[in-house]
Amino acid sequence: MWTDRDVRRVLSRRDWLCNSYLGLGGLAAMDLLGATDASPMAPKPQHHPEKAKSCIFLFMEGGVSQMDTYEYKPELWKHAGKQMPKAERTTGELATFSAAPNRVIAPFWDFKQYGQSGRWISSLLPNIATRVDDMAFIHGLKVDNNNHGPAVYHALTGNIIPGGASVGAWVTYGLGSENKDLPGFIVLGDRRGATIGGAGVWGSGYLPAAYQGTLFRNGSAPIVDLNRRADTSESSQRAELDLLKWVNERHAAERSNTGELEARIAAWELAFRMQTKAPELVELSKESDATKNLYGMDDPVTEPFGKQCLMARRMVERGVRFVKLLHGAGGDRWDDHGAIQERLPIHCREVDKPIAGLLADLKSRGLLDSTLVVWVSEMGRTPFDNNLTTDKPGRDHNQYGLVSWMAGGGVKAGATYGQTDDFSVRAANEEVPLRDFHATLLWLMGLDQNRLTYLHSGRYRKLTDIGGRVIKEIIA
Amino acid sequence: MQLNQYVFRSLAGLAFVCQAVAVPPPDVLTKNCAECHSEKLHTSGFSVGSLEAVVQGGNKHGRAVIAGHPETSPLIKMLNGELAPRMPMGRELSASEIAGLETWIRTMPVSAQPAASAAWRWPYEKPVAKALPAVSTGGWVKNPIDNFILAKLDAAGLKPAPVAERRTLARRVYFDLVGIPPTPDEMQAWLADQSPSAYETLVDKLLADPRYGERWGRHWLDLARYGETSGLEGDGGIGNVWRYRDWVIDAFNSNMSYDRFVTLQLAGGDEHSKTRNNYQPDKQGLIATGFLRLAPWDRSNLVAADVRQNYLSEVTAVTSSVFLGLTVGCARCHNHKYDAIPQRDFYRLQAFFQTTEPGRTIDVPFKDKEIAARAEQRTKEYQALLKDSAEKKELDSFEAELLKKLIAGKAAQSKGKELTAGDLRLEVKLPKSNVFTDALRERYQELLEDATRTGDAEEKQALELVETPMLAKLRDSYAKPGANAEARFASLTIEDVKTEATAKYSGKSIFTEEEKARHGELTAKLEVYRNRLGRWGTAVTGVTQVPGPPSGPDIAPVRVLTRGDYRQPAEIVEAGFPSAITGNSNPAVIESDRYLQFPTRGWRHTLATWMTSRDNPLTARVFVNRMWQHHFGYGIVRTPSDFGVNGDRPSHPELLDFLAVRFMESGWDVKAMHRLMLLSNTYRQAAENSALAKNEKDPDNRLFWHFNRQRLEAEALRDSILSVSGRLNPERGGPGVFPALPGDLADFARYGRTGGLMWEPPEKEEDARRRSVYIFQRRSLPLPMMSSFDAIPFSESCDRRNVTTTPLQALSMMNGDLTNEESVFLARRIEKEAGTEKSAQVRRLYELTLGRLPDDREMTAFRGFHGNLESLCRVMLNSNEFVYVD
Repeated sequence: MWTDRDVRRVLSRRDWLCNSYLGLGGLAAMDLLGATDASPMAPKPQHHPEKAKSCIFLFMEGGVSQMDTYEYKPELWKHAGKQMPKAERTTGELATFSAAPNRVIAPFWDFKQYGQSGRWISSLLPNIATRVDDMAFIHGLKVDNNNHGPAVYHALTGNIIPGGASVGAWVTYGLGSENKDLPGFIVLGDRRGATIGGAGVWGSGYLPAAYQGTLFRNGSAPIVDLNRRADTSESSQRAELDLLKWVNERHAAERSNTGELEARIAAWELAFRMQTKAPELVELSKESDATKNLYGMDDPVTEPFGKQCLMARRMVERGVRFVKLLHGAGGDRWDDHGAIQERLPIHCREVDKPIAGLLADLKSRGLLDSTLVVWVSEMGRTPFDNNLTTDKPGRDHNQYGLVSWMAGGGVKAGATYGQTDDFSVRAANEEVPLRDFHATLLWLMGLDQNRLTYLHSGRYRKLTDIGGRVIKEIIA
Repeated sequence: MQLNQYVFRSLAGLAFVCQAVAVPPPDVLTKNCAECHSEKLHTSGFSVGSLEAVVQGGNKHGRAVIAGHPETSPLIKMLNGELAPRMPMGRELSASEIAGLETWIRTMPVSAQPAASAAWRWPYEKPVAKALPAVSTGGWVKNPIDNFILAKLDAAGLKPAPVAERRTLARRVYFDLVGIPPTPDEMQAWLADQSPSAYETLVDKLLADPRYGERWGRHWLDLARYGETSGLEGDGGIGNVWRYRDWVIDAFNSNMSYDRFVTLQLAGGDEHSKTRNNYQPDKQGLIATGFLRLAPWDRSNLVAADVRQNYLSEVTAVTSSVFLGLTVGCARCHNHKYDAIPQRDFYRLQAFFQTTEPGRTIDVPFKDKEIAARAEQRTKEYQALLKDSAEKKELDSFEAELLKKLIAGKAAQSKGKELTAGDLRLEVKLPKSNVFTDALRERYQELLEDATRTGDAEEKQALELVETPMLAKLRDSYAKPGANAEARFASLTIEDVKTEATAKYSGKSIFTEEEKARHGELTAKLEVYRNRLGRWGTAVTGVTQVPGPPSGPDIAPVRVLTRGDYRQPAEIVEAGFPSAITGNSNPAVIESDRYLQFPTRGWRHTLATWMTSRDNPLTARVFVNRMWQHHFGYGIVRTPSDFGVNGDRPSHPELLDFLAVRFMESGWDVKAMHRLMLLSNTYRQAAENSALAKNEKDPDNRLFWHFNRQRLEAEALRDSILSVSGRLNPERGGPGVFPALPGDLADFARYGRTGGLMWEPPEKEEDARRRSVYIFQRRSLPLPMMSSFDAIPFSESCDRRNVTTTPLQALSMMNGDLTNEESVFLARRIEKEAGTEKSAQVRRLYELTLGRLPDDREMTAFRGFHGNLESLCRVMLNSNEFVYVD
């Protein structure tokens, strides 16, 4: 029934505006419903039942060449060294760095078919290839811009302009997190440097700060300010916190409307616990050698990303909602304008075994069903040479050729959606806007893109901005 | 009733998720109708994607839900077959499902209906100051504000809270106006002043305090999405935009009238002279247009038309929401869904910016003498360091050493390899070649330069024609016995050393990792000097006008863009003001100069003139409401950048109108408006009104029956901590400063390719302790402590800070450098001021941090604490009473 209170608090447009506007929406609503857990990260129900409870988001910065990895295009060998046929060469308003003659480069690597699905994968990703029957691919994704800055923002926040909330922030805003003692959205950065946009692409944008990604770094203090000062013991900090609690409780007792004040008392207690739980999370010594080797931690090339993948598994195991792994940074990313023959194999090798290990490990532990694993980059690449160097060919940016795969919870294993033309320049039939990828990701997490909104500066913001279709074809 | 359970569950879910904005329609509709009537498909114009859409109905029957009347609601009629075709197509809902929906509509209060089509005219009608309403107890009224507030409280049967305790009031007004708590001396002086005008004296003193501009300037910078870098690839700087930040602070401090404040930000340097021929606009005005330059304007986007359209759209949207409280931005792609803003009006408004060109670098001399002197001194200092500092000498000699190694290394690597174009280029660059004539080498250099610069296919072919035979000749001559095939490496330069030293390439480098690291360190040191030199220069990246005819091309017409897409231009429109306000769609008359010399100048000025005219119904209301929000915690309209249908309804429209009229009549006098608000009894109320604490009539305090407790923003919190420890550096203005980042974050955030520094060491140690408004605002790298406390991400206009509480805040406050270091200094300060006796120390701690003395139980607890004074200081800085202002 529509009680006065419902109407006033929830349905009267003006009041809901205010609640969310003031960033107190969560708290105010909790108070109303008599909920005991007032944390903004308290778990929240899905919009519709879906299997995935956590998401591991693998982001390859720089623009992965699709036709050297996941897209088998035999035409390229036939045209190798020749100028692109006219019809295929133009890609509408594709703005590239390269100029004519746009000679086609054949992939330098062989392709083979793998698994029940018979998917062609290049010899660059021999380990990932063994997992193809767990994955579903999306081809011909279209990004709204053809250069890294805007495209990275598009892939990670849904909008080419800075200021938006990142995918992980949206998901934790929608679902909260299962683990009270750890952040709900964790970012594992590349050791080589920051991704484009830095905090801007894992931030909460206009959403409340509670939903921003927490950056984990290497070492024993993965979170900024996690560790107690060297001169502070656990017991002395506990004593301080006890006094603080006493002071704060007295303060609250003299006041009304104490939801926020109590939340603050609780947050300090949680932080205290986190100091124990977070280092345990990144402490890999209890993992068996077999597990570590599965992730490639026995090889210096695969060790860094392998370690990140293993930490990601430990995080989802503990109920962290969203883990974002970044690979590639600055000059050392998947941006192979030149010398693709030398560069691409290195990056492929760095991630191939770790990712395959992650999928295998999740599966053997029964976690793959409840974990959505996503691979994506910010753009694809062109079939033709960039003409950057005379003797070491490379490929240019291609905003129409992005490929992504998803695996795990709710994904229809072995499915494919979308297809690029024979040269992998752009979608053969209908292009797939990147927002469809975001809508699908949200859907697989049990969230409806149209219901996951936040009022900011007079507009209901959504991850998918306008439109967006869930790609049901890759959903089980 | 099953359906009501549905409804309730979805409402409850909604409340939990705090997606309070999108109340979903009943599940039964979503489940059965969304296949065709989704937000995307919108079959027959009808969608069940949102409650509003359901209520609004489709093309055929219009409004589908009439609250309280299921029998006349077309939705029910279509479901039960009264209207054809019966829905859902080919199926029928069960009787109980339909009955459930009927109940839902019957019990839906009219007020819950979305106001999608409701006429909401108030924002567009000029404010009129009505007579002051009569009130119950005249004694409570200090000024007209109180009349309006008390009248509403009377009507609701509520009583205002008692006046706040004196210490509380002082603390409140200090935080409010200067963002820092009063010192114990300031508190004592206030308590000692028993004159009836003591409070007025205090308010006036703080309004004249230069820290006021730093506090209120920060509020404005939130709206202006102030950030000093692009946030995109490489996160390059927006050249010296700190000058805009200082301009904003100075504008508040000098009490610049608000109409001028608006005009300069939109149209500084865009004005004509009414009398003078060949008038050149005031250069200083360009600094204020930083407001327009802060929009995302992105070099790294490759499509110029896309860059420009994104820029114009953002500027149009932000200008209208910040100054007019109208969400015109929603009409970029389609007619506004709620407000009377057709899509054309978005482009008519955008047209005022059609002659605007962002991104030009202009020299604007320093106006402030003190800053100019500092700039001169620092410039000299850094020029000297770049020329002959020890680091520079070390780098030079190290690079010379590396060059030798590079030449030898390249020569060794080249052995047995076929020569490439790269080798040819080296040969050509030699001072003297044994292979080619000087003329041929020159010709080749030219061709190479042309081909590289233009990237043109024909140029490349021309190059190849010359290159191929030259390369062949080179191979031949080097193959001859006795040829010095390694001579060509002599043309390698220091530039090549730099390239090799910074390459993160897969190939094997000639330099060792140690050499590369040392080179990087030395380069970085000099880069810091170069950056600082640049920041103290007078070059500013600003916003100007395109030249226009006769010296430039004609002004391109502005077109409506279908779906906001720059590739889909539609009808041509002319610059004009929103028709919802003016009541017509006439083109604006663009201000021009007497001799029509400058056709591209005056466009933005025309807009500013209209915005700041007495006839504009919104500009004054919107700003006064923003001021109210910062003083009272919430605005009279609680959505300060949205006065439209979707926004909050004003709790006291007559009061807001009264204030807006008063504001304009005063000549847009900002400080006078502060005074009016602060001297009201409404403002002086206590935060607690115990008699009404549990009242059901107005739990949200819309009627202002008590003061709203507020959490300090990130900046105020940091400034306060530094202030109580006695270490806040009060220096004002100048380039952004770099407080240390925690741990290895700066190193982590280094931008890989260039190895460029994302964060620098502070120029002077005490710079790290400047007020937070002066911290360098790198869009990709906010201070973690600040962003955990809801500081803005610097990229989007923010009209109200979020207030969230997270464990990360706690970690930074428990373990972070700021609280820990300042606790030590606070402890030293207390020892110095209060001596060694513990009770005296505790008393001083309370006075310094909370502005009061401890009560007996607090004294006992603090005295009995087994820990040092630093621990107690840390506890205090973490306490809710320190962070929340009553």
